[in-house]
Amino acid sequence: MAALDAEFKIRRGLSYWWDGYTRMVRWEFIDIRGIAVFAIVIQLVIGALFVLGVGLFFDDIPLRSAQYLTTGSFVVCLITVAMVAAPQIIAAQKMSQQYEYRWSLPVPRSAATLAWFTVALAIGLPGALVALVVGAIRYGVTYDVSAMIVPAVFAGLLTAGLIGYAMAHTLKPMVAQLTATALLFVVLGFAPINFPPENLPGWLATLNLWLPFYPMAVVVRSALLPGEAGNVAQSYLVLGAWAIGCGAAVIWAIGRRK
Amino acid sequence: MATAPKHDPSLGSGKGWVFRATDVTKIYGEDVVANDGISLSVEPGEVFGLLGPNGAGKSTLVKQIIGLLAPDSGSITLGSHDLVADPGVARQLCSYLPQAQMPIDSFRSREAIELTGLIRGGDRPEVRRRAGELIEALDIQEWERSTGQQLSGGVKRLVGFAMVACIPGRVVILDEPTNDVDPLRRRLLWDQIRVLGDSGVAVFLVTHNVLEAEKSVDRLAIIDRGKLIAQGTPSSLKADDRARMRLQVMLVPGSDTPELPAFVQDHARVSHNLLTVVGEADASHAIRWAQGLMDAGIAEEYALGATSLEDVYIRLTGDQSEEPLAASGGA
Repeated sequence: MAALDAEFKIRRGLSYWWDGYTRMVRWEFIDIRGIAVFAIVIQLVIGALFVLGVGLFFDDIPLRSAQYLTTGSFVVCLITVAMVAAPQIIAAQKMSQQYEYRWSLPVPRSAATLAWFTVALAIGLPGALVALVVGAIRYGVTYDVSAMIVPAVFAGLLTAGLIGYAMAHTLKPMVAQLTATALLFVVLGFAPINFPPENLPGWLATLNLWLPFYPMAVVVRSALLPGEAGNVAQSYLVLGAWAIGCGAAVIWAIGRRK
Repeated sequence: MATAPKHDPSLGSGKGWVFRATDVTKIYGEDVVANDGISLSVEPGEVFGLLGPNGAGKSTLVKQIIGLLAPDSGSITLGSHDLVADPGVARQLCSYLPQAQMPIDSFRSREAIELTGLIRGGDRPEVRRRAGELIEALDIQEWERSTGQQLSGGVKRLVGFAMVACIPGRVVILDEPTNDVDPLRRRLLWDQIRVLGDSGVAVFLVTHNVLEAEKSVDRLAIIDRGKLIAQGTPSSLKADDRARMRLQVMLVPGSDTPELPAFVQDHARVSHNLLTVVGEADASHAIRWAQGLMDAGIAEEYALGATSLEDVYIRLTGDQSEEPLAASGGA
């Protein structure tokens, strides 16, 4: 096999993966170059306005609500990019036949997928951070950022990204676009991200323990707010299960040839 | 100007490997047979044409080569590599210009060519050199720094070709490469396709433009309704038509097909264009008949010439290249 690979100059291994990854990151950046600044500004505006706008629901927002709102908005911003915008963009690529060309390039599929996430994260993260900053300035929320923020953001993004990616790759393009839009309303209205689970009917609060949205908020919040515990271990397990399930669906979908 | 990928001893020798599809069958759903037992081979240095009408199964075959689709049965190999079993290797060994335009709206032309070259494993100086050569050879310097969305369809097609040819695979698959390209640059493009072949690459060219293919391919196969119906060099495929000639009569638009004399061996009507095949010995009768049609006001003009590959193609598929019009009767 090695002799055969050498004869045909077949590339394998880590350096092949890394070259593919860095070049596809460049490809993805160039691909959105025209709208990148606009997309980042929109994310910044969404992050800031969401925190300020929901605050208007209250005459005088209690500290706990403000804490939920700002940390929840951080999570919502990341979910918006990974679970809503990403599948919509992939659906658009599929409909314009760009998708096939990308998959015909000699790059490991995991490298191409990760390159796509890298670019999505670079667009989404500034807006998420602004939500925290605006919350601190407007409502006086203070944060106690622990090192757990790194695994929390990673786990949240990975799971949200894999769910979005699985949707984009297993559903028909139009269905994926509509589902992604619908998901945004579910996340905002019926998942206890921006408000405590006690505000929901008991059955819906219980259901949310097993859906991925509330656990994303739990792990992020526990790493940002002093004395905010929640069931962190269980949340990581639930996120892990969703990530594995959706990861398997993604591997099946992008490895499959009809 | 002749440009070529840097000579690669393992590539340019033209020996030691063959691209081979054996008995490839692809069925969509329950019973739509897109490819029905297709077998063909392409050698290094060869420009191989795959011709067929729309929906014949050409693109389906190509997508199986590049690993975007999997055959239901049969094998696709390059040398000892099984491309069906290892689509990752297939993507390294084959470069692909799809029928749809390249997704490069945000890319500058040169940037798209160079980045694709790097993704295909080229080193930076080599990629730069090749991109420059191709841009010059295809006469698209004017648009070197334009983004994809500023390009006309034809120039975008040429940039797509340069992306594929910058650091080519062992097999270069071109699906309708000349679509939208102006006649002058078409010639430059065909030159570069020939140069690719001469550098030791196996060029697999999908087209329904029979006239262009006849001049440019070494060998070709004709596919219709999923089946391979003929294969060989352009002249071997025309062998059966050697003693025959083509009489083309342009009828007055709206007129009925005139009664055909006994010496007309075959005919097809496409719009007001009546194509007939006659024996060489009947050439003078044919001219007299066509002249008579003009005198009677049924025909506007006529042309008598040697049969071309297109006549073979029409005879075999009942279709007219580049004109998706129904042929009435004939062939």
